[in-house]
Amino acid sequence: MADNAELESFRRQWREEVSRKTKPNNAPGPSRSTPGRPTAAQPRHFPPTRHEAFARKEEDEEGPAAYSQNDIAQRLDRLSLAKPEEEDAFHLHSRKPRAEPTSALEHFERAVEREAEGNLGDSLQHYRKAYRLDAAVDKEYRNKHFAGAWKKTPQPAVPSEPTKVASTEQGPVVPTPELIDSFASAPILSADPIFEGDPRPPCPIAHVPSEVIVEILGHVALADPAAFARMALVCKRFAYHFAREQHIWKRLCQSAKFGFESMHYSFACDIHGNPEYTLEPQRRYTPFPTDIPVQLPSPLSSWSEVFHTYPRIRFTGIYISTVNYTRAGAASAYSNISWNSPIHIVTYYRYIRFYPDGTVIYILSTVEPVDVVPHINKANVTAARATTRKQNPRNAADMGSGTQEPVPPIAMEALKRAQWGRWRLSKPVSPTDPPEEADNSFPNKDGPTATPDPRDLVVETEGVGAKYVYVLHLALRSSTARPTNANPSHPNPSRNTKLVWKGYWSYDKLTDDWAEFGLKNDRAFVFRRVRGWGLN
Amino acid sequence: MAEKTLIMESNDGKKIEVPIDVASRSILIKNMIDDLPEGAFEEAIPISNVSENVLTKVIEWCTHHRSDPPSSGDDDDTRRKTTDIDEWDQKFMQVDQEMLFEIILAANYLDIKPLLDIGCKTVANMIKGKSPEEIRKTFNIQNDFTPEEEDQIRRENEWAEDR
Repeated sequence: MADNAELESFRRQWREEVSRKTKPNNAPGPSRSTPGRPTAAQPRHFPPTRHEAFARKEEDEEGPAAYSQNDIAQRLDRLSLAKPEEEDAFHLHSRKPRAEPTSALEHFERAVEREAEGNLGDSLQHYRKAYRLDAAVDKEYRNKHFAGAWKKTPQPAVPSEPTKVASTEQGPVVPTPELIDSFASAPILSADPIFEGDPRPPCPIAHVPSEVIVEILGHVALADPAAFARMALVCKRFAYHFAREQHIWKRLCQSAKFGFESMHYSFACDIHGNPEYTLEPQRRYTPFPTDIPVQLPSPLSSWSEVFHTYPRIRFTGIYISTVNYTRAGAASAYSNISWNSPIHIVTYYRYIRFYPDGTVIYILSTVEPVDVVPHINKANVTAARATTRKQNPRNAADMGSGTQEPVPPIAMEALKRAQWGRWRLSKPVSPTDPPEEADNSFPNKDGPTATPDPRDLVVETEGVGAKYVYVLHLALRSSTARPTNANPSHPNPSRNTKLVWKGYWSYDKLTDDWAEFGLKNDRAFVFRRVRGWGLN
Repeated sequence: MAEKTLIMESNDGKKIEVPIDVASRSILIKNMIDDLPEGAFEEAIPISNVSENVLTKVIEWCTHHRSDPPSSGDDDDTRRKTTDIDEWDQKFMQVDQEMLFEIILAANYLDIKPLLDIGCKTVANMIKGKSPEEIRKTFNIQNDFTPEEEDQIRRENEWAEDR
């Protein structure tokens, strides 16, 4: 039954794809809107093209193209520390992979694994290493994995990857809300003594009344929501309070550090980060103001749900889009023995770091995340860009390293080309609101029928020259897979941690012209936490 | 006449003389003073839940903060917003865990909101950046989940980890 549905949806996707491909590329001009496609989702203040990239993305969002994300996730995963709570792939000491294969066979196995996942770059690396260590490693591999099939039948055996079967639930499973309710009066038990027969170690927190526990949890939550989440795994009592103390969640939603107080629904500064001053200071829109009673937005039933699902930009990490593409190369004239020309696999990254003050740092670079991400901050970017102008690298390096460790040259190179920018979410409109005024110069040829999607995100960055502004139109989406690919079933992943492309334009301020970037190799941005960011 | 004092008696029978404005940091005591007529404090006020060493510590805090503006309203948001603890308070809270929780309990009982806050923040700082297992170790808490329950909760709350 489920298979059928899946098959059906696949067929539908496939048909759509075929029909789109047979149609000529039909939406390039910024002035024309294609009749076959709904334009309703088009936000205002945009050149009215519906970007091809977005159409492509939509269909595979939940499907196989968790690839882009898996891809980066796995690359990063290799780099991260084994300590789960401090998951942060970007710090230098975390460069060491978790369990790096050593023997040729192990390299080969890893390569096969990566290839199966579609991660060609990694796979190639491992293949190369494997062959360098042992030229006959493929035979060894066959003997190990397909020894049986090899001898009995000459036909190629289906590779049976050792799949980790997730432990299936045995017995009746209590639905989670009921399970949590059953924890309501669970006492905090003190730990068992290390040596049997010893008195139990003192556990003073066990005598603390609930209201104080809740108070403590509130402080933890406001300092770092992720730490709050980890508290739920400590013991039953904490799990209960985590799920049931909605006022903590409400406060979190209203907080400026992680909540919606610091979401911008109109630009807060110009693209160079200078705050915008107006003669008439308007009240900043915030969905859950603290000074008047607020209500839960209608479809949601709890504040934790609001925090979970409402479109929210994270400041505690970086959004990375990884693009791999292949390019045919020419065979070297010196290696006559090669029968075919090489194929280059090129990888580049786009990085976006958001700031609560409405600014953005945008970097397009081939420098890998571990090398550059820890250094992406305002001070370093300012320093790096000052260098290019003054041609005085030593001076700038000093500036950059004023407060922290010196920035390595490779990161400095990438930071030099960083672009300043600004961001805003699109304001969710309620029917009672007066229609939003066109508050900037974007052409609005779509008419007033367009309703903005609250998950839409606009980032404007500097362009090549002072007269250009680059406009990224992105949309918040949910991740379908987790970085660690250990457990395939994630019923409850983080929401809104992915940014898919909806369009990318260059706007000429002098001529009021919009030019579109093709985004041939676009990939969604995926959020990764970085240690220390966004926390004091 | 010197400043007015009253006498607090800890649960182990020790009597401590405290200036009224210091004792008034405790909303419990303050309300008691407001309710009772002048001169009704010849007798010691029994603080039945608090032992002498904890009470001394609490009074030390109250003495240092005796001239602080009284906290306004019990759900004061500005108070919550500051997550940092000032230096004196940090030093004050450098005590063993048992004492820390005793102070928290006493502050809760005596209704001294700012002290309770500092205590809770101190505990929160001990929690930040730790894994569930490390938190259990820090506070000697037993893991009372079955493996299945733990897994279920983990999956339920996975989103909040924000990776």
